[in-house]
Amino acid sequence: MLITKVKDHRKIQEILKGYNPFVFKCFGCREVHFPEEEINEILKEGQGHLKGIARIDYLCREEFTRRYLEAFENEVRATKSILVFSCGVGVQVVSRLLEEKIVFPGCDTFYLNGFQGVTAQDFDCEQCGQCWLNLTGGICPLTACSKGLLNGPCGGTTKDGKCEVNSEMDCGWVLIYKRLQSIGRLDLLKKSAVNVRDYNLIIRAAVK
Amino acid sequence: MAEKTVMDYTKYRLKKEEEIREILAGIPKISILWCQKCYKEFKEDFEPECGQLKDILEGMGTEITVCEPVDFLCNNYLTKKILEHLQVDEPIGVVSCGLGIQFVAGIYNRRRVFALADSVLHSGNATTIGYHGIALGPEKCAACGQCYLEITGGICPVVACPKGLLNGPCGGASSDGRCEVNKELPCAWIEIYERLKKQGKGFSSFVEIRNYSIFKVDEKKRFEKANRNERTEGFYGGVHPLEMKESTEGKPLEDFPAPERIFVFLSQHTGLPAKPVVKAGDSVRVGQKLGESTGFISSAVHSGVSGKVIGIEEKIHPVSQTLQPAVVVENDGADTPDPSVMPVMDPEGLSQEKLLEVLRNRGIVGLGGAMFPTSVKLCPPKPVDTLLINGCECEPYLNTDNRLMIERSDEILKGAGIARKILGARRVVFGIEDNKKKAIESATKSAGGGSDVEVVSLKTRYPQGAERMLIKRTLGRDVPDTGLPFDAGVVVLNVSTLYSLYNAVYRGIPLVERAITVTGVDVVKPGNYIVKIGTPFYNILNSCFDSESLGKLNGDYQLKMGGPMMGIVQTSTESAVIKGTTGLLLLEKPIVEPSEENECIKCGRCVDVCPMELHPDYYAYYGKRKQWDKVVEYKVKNCIECGCCQYVCSSKIDLLSFIKKAKRYANNKG
Repeated sequence: MLITKVKDHRKIQEILKGYNPFVFKCFGCREVHFPEEEINEILKEGQGHLKGIARIDYLCREEFTRRYLEAFENEVRATKSILVFSCGVGVQVVSRLLEEKIVFPGCDTFYLNGFQGVTAQDFDCEQCGQCWLNLTGGICPLTACSKGLLNGPCGGTTKDGKCEVNSEMDCGWVLIYKRLQSIGRLDLLKKSAVNVRDYNLIIRAAVK
Repeated sequence: MAEKTVMDYTKYRLKKEEEIREILAGIPKISILWCQKCYKEFKEDFEPECGQLKDILEGMGTEITVCEPVDFLCNNYLTKKILEHLQVDEPIGVVSCGLGIQFVAGIYNRRRVFALADSVLHSGNATTIGYHGIALGPEKCAACGQCYLEITGGICPVVACPKGLLNGPCGGASSDGRCEVNKELPCAWIEIYERLKKQGKGFSSFVEIRNYSIFKVDEKKRFEKANRNERTEGFYGGVHPLEMKESTEGKPLEDFPAPERIFVFLSQHTGLPAKPVVKAGDSVRVGQKLGESTGFISSAVHSGVSGKVIGIEEKIHPVSQTLQPAVVVENDGADTPDPSVMPVMDPEGLSQEKLLEVLRNRGIVGLGGAMFPTSVKLCPPKPVDTLLINGCECEPYLNTDNRLMIERSDEILKGAGIARKILGARRVVFGIEDNKKKAIESATKSAGGGSDVEVVSLKTRYPQGAERMLIKRTLGRDVPDTGLPFDAGVVVLNVSTLYSLYNAVYRGIPLVERAITVTGVDVVKPGNYIVKIGTPFYNILNSCFDSESLGKLNGDYQLKMGGPMMGIVQTSTESAVIKGTTGLLLLEKPIVEPSEENECIKCGRCVDVCPMELHPDYYAYYGKRKQWDKVVEYKVKNCIECGCCQYVCSSKIDLLSFIKKAKRYANNKG
């Protein structure tokens, strides 16, 4: 459930004109924001420069993407480059399947809170590998605090409990304090020693 | 073909025993909620974490009061419903990734909630998380917001290089191309170099700097809202496929020339088939009864042309796709009306029974597709206070209801007046999706001036036209699981049905014609046509498509009766229009067709979109193993076969086929 945003239209037109690519447009996670109408407009404008278009869902599913490549074999063979409208995963899959083609991403990818699960959420999990939620009443300081502070607020909170980085955002530590108050566990704030994140866990995961 | 790489994307692992002992020290009893995980092979077995946790707690002498497995714990809406029915005592231990724990802690924000698991990171480097797609493939995306992939040959340095370097290697790679951080990992930049070499393209780009500020918090919030709140506005689930209505939206209703022969099926309604009242050689007139209703839930069928009855022949029925008897009438082109075609005198003054009699005699059934006899629907066993006019037409491509509302909204509302009188309904609500601006205008105009019909504009979403969803969306009422709309005090009628009801009462014409949309790939004459019931498909196809595209019918193209979501694939063009035909579409066959064989990866998309709040993933799992009892246990009977689950299925599993088989099994069992 990543969000995609179309890159600069001028840049895409340049790619179309300069490379005459074959186009994959993934409408992937379907109900997630996907700018299909915007893409269709761009493609209409550059219609004469296209080798062909495949509309596909879940471009990241390699076994199905291969079948599309077979169905559009001639069109794909006729060009040296592919333009892919999808999240970064889809672009990488196409690149791997067509190693000799130049693959252009047509979109930039952003993430939605809660992506690693199945629904978009207000809150997020940073996959830190050492869950802090027992100390903070079930509100994650890494993601609820814009600075990801583990040991209490930074001191920059406004009077109405908003974050100094973005005044629309609640201060994560104010939320944590209120939650701990409501479950009667303010003592946790005093009890816990200084918390330090173990980045080693992440590096180990990165090289796994 | 290369072997498929399947990655382990397990989202959490249980905390270490010492840590759990420390967290739960001194707690005598606990309730456990645990997530059944996502993005993995579908298995019936419980996750090993649960067994381990039970052992640890036993060793500590802590009693487990509730131990509840939950599918997709982070699905706010469904999990909230489960928790409402679950008696959990404080404190609560949650085994899931950080999302599930935060969600449960948010719900029980006055109780102690313990995190008993840590989230597992799957890729990325010290500063970046990598996300996988809706597939268990090896590629990951850091969602950095400034895609570099064309410069790096389609290998992402942000996630593939442990240092996340954007401008070439760090210089620490070993002589055999391994990463200095981990010898087992190839240096991402060497891979990038090799890939670019294959493309005949050197690395020739300028220095890239990562812009961490690119996506503003507010913008993200906007997407979140569009994704979560607005998507489930009114009712849970549903999808919004491309509307594809442009080709016929502006085409006014047009009479389709009456064919030389019509095939009127005796069964084109829910319930018992009609009994023929004509025989070969009889001459019939327009509006004359060809078959009689044979029971309470049944309906009469009539001739749309005048001419001679050829006989009763077996033809392929467009719904069941089996041979069914149909009355074949040869058209003499004279259009001689039957004497029974007479407007009802003073319909406003007639009693309810008399009006129902008229509808029964004139063969009025629901024209949205289900073909349920309207006369039965209008005498519900429970009091009804609201008549809901269904002007959603949420299926892509179709425009028949849309055009009827634009051109004949006065007639529709007059028909609604009759239905309201029969029902004695206090309130009339007219729901129209907001992609039909002109229809809303026209309906508002017709409803204005002293009438109390409420026209409601609804945000376009499929399957809003399904009765339950429409009732929930417009009136906020829930129809019970096994109930019908009247259980919620509502009767829902489609605009086409109301138009035919108007024709039956005010013009005396039985249901012998209806509007259908004809469009699709390579269409020559797309349009909204009023066709005689019984018109063979080949007449319509030959007039609207060229022979070349029709030649592809058994190859790349397929013919669907109805919309692309719920429409039925037609195997024969010898079939004919029935009362429930909303459209005829010539569509390209999908390159990858759904199959029963494909394996589920528990991506949870089907559960996310099912408007009936069911678990289609289990239908695939148990269906494949022919454990139909299990499928029935997961409430397959509630399924409305809207096809949303199959539409989003990332594994392209033929879920509808499993659902239909399970329903047949359940019906046979009684």
